Amino acid sequence: MLRSVAAKTVRDTRRAMLWWSAGLILLVAVMCASYPAVRDNKDLSDLIEQYPEALKGFVAFGGTVDYSTGAGFLGSELFSLMVPLLLIIAAVAAGARAIAGEEENGTLDLLLSYPLSRRRLVVEKLVGLAAELVVLLAVLWIALVVGAHLASMNVSAGHLAAATVGAGLIGLDYGCIALLLGAAFGRRGVAIGGAAVAAVATYLVNSLAPLLDVLEPLQRISPFYHYSVSDPLRQGIDPGRTAVLVAIALLAAALAVPALDRRDLSS
Amino acid sequence: MIDVVRAEGLTKSYGRARGVVDLDLAVVPGEVFGFLGPNGAGKSTTLRLLLDLIRPTSGRVSVFGLDVRRDGVEVRRRIGYLPGDLRLYPRLTPRELFTYVGHLRGMRGTGDAVVVSERLGLELDRPIQALSKGNRQKVGLVQALMHRPELLVLDEPTSGLDPLVQRVFYELVREATSEGRTVFLSSHVLPEVQHVADRVAVIREGRLVLLDTIDALRAHAFTRVEVTFAAVPPPAAFAGLPGVREIERRGAVVLLALEGEADALIKVLAQHTVVALDIHEADLEDVFLSLYGEAASDAA
Repeated sequence: MLRSVAAKTVRDTRRAMLWWSAGLILLVAVMCASYPAVRDNKDLSDLIEQYPEALKGFVAFGGTVDYSTGAGFLGSELFSLMVPLLLIIAAVAAGARAIAGEEENGTLDLLLSYPLSRRRLVVEKLVGLAAELVVLLAVLWIALVVGAHLASMNVSAGHLAAATVGAGLIGLDYGCIALLLGAAFGRRGVAIGGAAVAAVATYLVNSLAPLLDVLEPLQRISPFYHYSVSDPLRQGIDPGRTAVLVAIALLAAALAVPALDRRDLSS
Repeated sequence: MIDVVRAEGLTKSYGRARGVVDLDLAVVPGEVFGFLGPNGAGKSTTLRLLLDLIRPTSGRVSVFGLDVRRDGVEVRRRIGYLPGDLRLYPRLTPRELFTYVGHLRGMRGTGDAVVVSERLGLELDRPIQALSKGNRQKVGLVQALMHRPELLVLDEPTSGLDPLVQRVFYELVREATSEGRTVFLSSHVLPEVQHVADRVAVIREGRLVLLDTIDALRAHAFTRVEVTFAAVPPPAAFAGLPGVREIERRGAVVLLALEGEADALIKVLAQHTVVALDIHEADLEDVFLSLYGEAASDAA
């Protein structure tokens, strides 16, 4: 685990990832356990049916709100907000640690005194960040496959994988924004704060766009739009939307290279 | 022969006074170049410019004749660097850190790390966070030395090391230069530089105030005469005496520099009541004091 900066980056978060994994498993377990009761509760379905559209917008995933099927239930309860939110938090923390964390700890001076270009450092940190997410996504996916099977949700492992990948990519987007801000300013607080503001703002833009006409043109720049408009739990992976989410992450990471390269490291 | 380090008009400005101003210097292969100055004089700034950790405001710096920015990876492959403010990964053990550095440097293993650690008396398998400051400094030295770099850039290398370990460090430096490798080290204390350096540059408030060989400085050696009088002697009491300079005066204690014959001075002293007299060969620190006055006194 000490063969490269990327490998060491993953190694450093072993313990944190254990806790994140435990949290994700618990979340999936509780949700799956409650599914049969929710599905069979006619009053609840009726109530949700009467929700104003604005409220539905916040829990809609894949364009619909439907608690009577496994796919609809998982979409609204887990994938509309909870799972992407948790993955964004994990990814932003990791993205902020990647460069700004090393700089604040003072280890970046030593690291960049080795034959390692700043571009290479950013690439290694991006790979490390992605690898951490892959581990969390694998745990999440396995928990979902098991949970969905036990609760008879009738959602295929492939569709669960598609939804999991989408949530992972939206996490990666904000993680890369944190990486970029960390590279540009060298401060973990700025990286976390900036990425959090970006996440909240783009989430609200996407959720409120159907209600507020002024926001409508902005909706398409929100990663949440591309994430939630596709319907992976029923339709499987949406290559176009997936590509957009990947592109946003890569763009942010690519901008981190000149951002880091053009400035002095703080001592 | 190409200079190992060459700075031309090197300037790094920060908002306030910190930084370096119009620095010109050249370090030649195989020498130990001592960089002396008080804390905050710009030593670390200069060293960090060599490593391309920070970029100059103006001027140029090259290492091995290569541009430190454009060819930074190649330059840093051939440098071993010990930061002045050394921060390591607290959870790693020294052995793990050296393994990591070995991979980052593209080495097969850890090179000289184990041998040098043994000589410095560094324990390899305790987490760095459990090590004393001196032991952490050893870790810093080992990671700088392990790949036998052509150039060692060491910022305050002996800080925190006990005298015995310092001696091992001086040995390591001599071994490096005997193999034709070059050492650029900084310090805020003269004796350290005097011990190993062939040449010394004194920097103060970002400017080079002196650059000379240690031997040339020694040639300025003089006798130091410290006289304690019963009463404060008149200000010009020792002016105009041949070979005598008054360096410093603290009340009735007068410090004089004497070159050549002592007779004239003794005759003048005899006219006063002398409480105590201390005479010894000046060390380099005194040479500094007398040659460069204020500037050097802060530096030394």
